Amino acid sequence: MKKVAIIGVGHGKFGVRSDASLRELAFEAIKTCLDDAGLSLKEVDGMVTGIAGDEFSFSLQPSAQIHDYIGFQPKPNFRVEGACATGSVALRTGWMSIASGLADIMLVVGVEKMTEVPTPVATEIMGRGGDAMWEYPFGTTFPGYYAMIANAHMAEFGTTEEQMAMVAVKNHYYGSLNPFAHMQKEVTLDKALSSFMVAYPLKLFDCSLITDGAAAIILASEEKAKSICKKPVWIVGLGFATDTMRISEREKLTSIQATREAAKIAYKMAGVGPRDIDIATVHDCFTIAEIIAYEDLGFCEKGEGGKLIESKETYIGGSIPVNVDGGLKAKGHPLGATGISMAIEITKQLRGEAGPRQVKDPEIGLTHNVGGTGQVVAVHIFRRE
Amino acid sequence: MEFKDFSLGISQTKVFRFVEELSAGNIVATICKKCGQKYYPPRSDCCKCMESQMEWIPISVEGNLFTFTKIYIPPKHFAPIQPLMPFSNIQFDPCAIGILEVEDKLRIMGWIPKVELKKIKIGMRMKASPIRLQDGRITIILEPLNP
Repeated sequence: MKKVAIIGVGHGKFGVRSDASLRELAFEAIKTCLDDAGLSLKEVDGMVTGIAGDEFSFSLQPSAQIHDYIGFQPKPNFRVEGACATGSVALRTGWMSIASGLADIMLVVGVEKMTEVPTPVATEIMGRGGDAMWEYPFGTTFPGYYAMIANAHMAEFGTTEEQMAMVAVKNHYYGSLNPFAHMQKEVTLDKALSSFMVAYPLKLFDCSLITDGAAAIILASEEKAKSICKKPVWIVGLGFATDTMRISEREKLTSIQATREAAKIAYKMAGVGPRDIDIATVHDCFTIAEIIAYEDLGFCEKGEGGKLIESKETYIGGSIPVNVDGGLKAKGHPLGATGISMAIEITKQLRGEAGPRQVKDPEIGLTHNVGGTGQVVAVHIFRRE
Repeated sequence: MEFKDFSLGISQTKVFRFVEELSAGNIVATICKKCGQKYYPPRSDCCKCMESQMEWIPISVEGNLFTFTKIYIPPKHFAPIQPLMPFSNIQFDPCAIGILEVEDKLRIMGWIPKVELKKIKIGMRMKASPIRLQDGRITIILEPLNP
């Protein structure tokens, strides 16, 4: 199989970006990414755009806005979608374009403009991201689904609201050190625990943010990467799996089964196991989701996720640093950009360019990106030279 | 009675009879005539054997609570209308929801209007019933059995 490397990354500022439109957000990330790679668009063969919801952007073909705005025509660009895992689906599609020999250099951009619609509308759009026909009639929202998952995990394993709040404390601490994060301030355990209830037992600080933002990556074939880039980061494992639309039809609610499947495939392809991972970004759309991800990715035993955060093993210096960029929790979660942003963090960490959040000399990194409540999951593994 | 009276947004489906049955007081599933796989919510096509010969069957409506929550920040259709009185003390108290396991992996989602949140426990015995709302819509509620 052909080898594919990340040779350039560009991260836009995440936040309530009322100053910029969808295409302008994408431009910021693409420009930074091209500069990082030292390339011009002339040298890029094709493009993949990750945008999760056209209902946010008032547009049926939002990806065309972007190739038009950067003047990419007539070269190929199309949009892919995988709910909250859209960014990772875009990265996977970019990888496929190069591995198949269709292209040598690909631009992969993920972008979402979520705050232009009022919050109840955004909540509705995402609530219908569950099963619009059978679940939404019960007033379900995304926090609602994960709250039902949290209650199941608490009942089976004794996971506590304090342990969930500890995930928020960690991710906000690292978010405070990330200049691209939506919320750059720390929170205390008391503040997290006393914030208002969103969906029992999840409180405000258990939830990720509704955010605008863009992130972009340039991928290259082995030959191109070696000739252009001093510090290529190789994508060595790609796992992808799916599960039922409705959480009511899952075997159990205490695991995201598609995470377990996708991780198995990615670990096998990369020839590594959970103990070999030096740094990970996992899908913490809610604090309980990070705890379950620890277990499903094999960073601890099933049911021990709450204890793993309690013992601070997922901080820098612990056995497996997780989401030291602030995660979705503090960095924000612009759906289409999230998966790309995760891969950018791993790239920067493996290059040794993560500044005050740098993990000591990591060699292998992992990203874990969940669409919806686990209907689609992508796990990618990255390695430096 | 239209399917939309249950689903809010979607009105066109082959399983529209589900809502007519709800209206008559029944919670029904479909079963594949060929392989016997049961579906709740009902499907008009079987994903186990890819056939489309389905029958309607009643299912058990009593079982154990699989999980639950209470959503305080509702989506648009369920958000409270702001009271006209600016100094009104009316507080929004949402209704809990849950998923009831009635048969092996056959689970019914419903509102839990009559139990205090603190008293809702995973595993508790409950019963699902259709209920018609004042505005003509139809939905499903879960109530405790022998407390």
